[in-house]
Amino acid sequence: MKALEGKIAVITGGSSGIGLATAKRFVEEGAQVVIIGRREKALQEAAALIGKNVTTVVGDVSRLEDLDRLYATVNEKHGHIDILFANAGAGTVAPLAAATEAHFDQTFDVNVKGLFFTVQKALPIFKDGGSIILNSSVSNVMGLPAFSAYAASKAAVRSFSRSWTQELKDRNIRVNTMSPGAIETPALATTTGLTAEQAEEAVAQFASQIPMGRRGRPAEIASALTFLASDESSYITGIDLAVDGGWAQV
Amino acid sequence: MSRLNGKTAVITGGATGIGLAAARRFIEEGAFVFIYGRRQQALDAAVAELGPNARTVKGSVSDEADLDRLYAAVKAERGSLDIVFANAGAGSPLPLGQITAKHIDDTFDTNVKGTIFTVQKALPLMGPGGSIILTGSSAGTTGAPAFTAYSASKAAVRNLARTWAEDLKGTGIRVNVLSPGATATELAKEALGEEGQKAYGAMTPLERMADPAEIAAAAAFLASDDSSFMTASEVAVDGGLAQL
Repeated sequence: MKALEGKIAVITGGSSGIGLATAKRFVEEGAQVVIIGRREKALQEAAALIGKNVTTVVGDVSRLEDLDRLYATVNEKHGHIDILFANAGAGTVAPLAAATEAHFDQTFDVNVKGLFFTVQKALPIFKDGGSIILNSSVSNVMGLPAFSAYAASKAAVRSFSRSWTQELKDRNIRVNTMSPGAIETPALATTTGLTAEQAEEAVAQFASQIPMGRRGRPAEIASALTFLASDESSYITGIDLAVDGGWAQV
Repeated sequence: MSRLNGKTAVITGGATGIGLAAARRFIEEGAFVFIYGRRQQALDAAVAELGPNARTVKGSVSDEADLDRLYAAVKAERGSLDIVFANAGAGSPLPLGQITAKHIDDTFDTNVKGTIFTVQKALPLMGPGGSIILTGSSAGTTGAPAFTAYSASKAAVRNLARTWAEDLKGTGIRVNVLSPGATATELAKEALGEEGQKAYGAMTPLERMADPAEIAAAAAFLASDDSSFMTASEVAVDGGLAQL
């Protein structure tokens, strides 16, 4: 039997990178997946790539009304949720001395507030015994120069899994954190504000610091997420699973 | 699932408890498994259950000559080795104030020195894609009253994986720690009784002890390519016990 046969999964930030690779893997494992993202075109391309058993919702996790619309769609189509991967996140370069209030607010609006309400608003239709996975980052335990707001927001995410593990235990809902290291996604080059040259330098620097000597592939995060989403991890709750080639572990 | 098709695995402390559950699961996933333990009777019972894809070698992880015999047997029959689950471990309570040198030596001989030589002696048979899993414990993070030696030894095991990920750089061999919490092995069930099991379970957010099969599922994940970007990590399978 497939690991997620018949399960209903919601993935935020599901149209590219880790979210897309995970949506694809979850469907391969037998799940029905609903993905939310801000860009309609990217969502359509993602749905085409995934091929079947996928529903798309255009929306922004930092807008509460968009989340309401997401869960209304899920409720109408499937009636409940078994798995939530709260993955949408953003980080842009801004050294401490130069960071603006808008930079700080944007980072925390998406990564912390957006994730908080992504989970809260899922609860009324979340099935007891299900699995919630919060996407953090190895930066929750590592300093990242010029990305301090991002790193701090990811530390907040790791903290949520500790409290929510206890709050949701009576419903037998497991809450875990996934902490990817440096992953080959388009985000580094396209959304962080780094120049192409800076992004290339960053990649080379990452590889030299990572014991495995390379960045991870989105599919390698997706396979670990499948483990956390499935009953294979039935005795795992409250953990922070680092999938980072050893970067933050040594 | 058959994620371990064609793979060869060694499991120390493989005749009972978590080790035996992992042997069952690895074989279900297609692996050929050598279980290693000190008691012939327990090994015989295990292999009778595990069937044709299991072999037994009798020995102690704290005896280097025994380990040499283990890996000679693996080499003779399979030629190479893909997975090492360094799981043999021991621990008994002695509160601070009563600890003896022998107690420390016995605990560290098995849990730390035994783990080091279990892995070091396996390396000549391993290559790219290999996965080493060390059994840690939630006690390595939290401390456990009267378990000074055991808890410290498991903290040491967690640390071994950090250094070895660097030492193994470029080999394609991964090393991770699997840290169980309170697990309802036959031995634990016998020692704790019904009330004791309830008390241990009540300490965890999941409010129960683990079934050994749940630890084995995480071992299978770490053994397989599903964890291909993980090294030096710790996976706590403890019902949240040491996480909050």
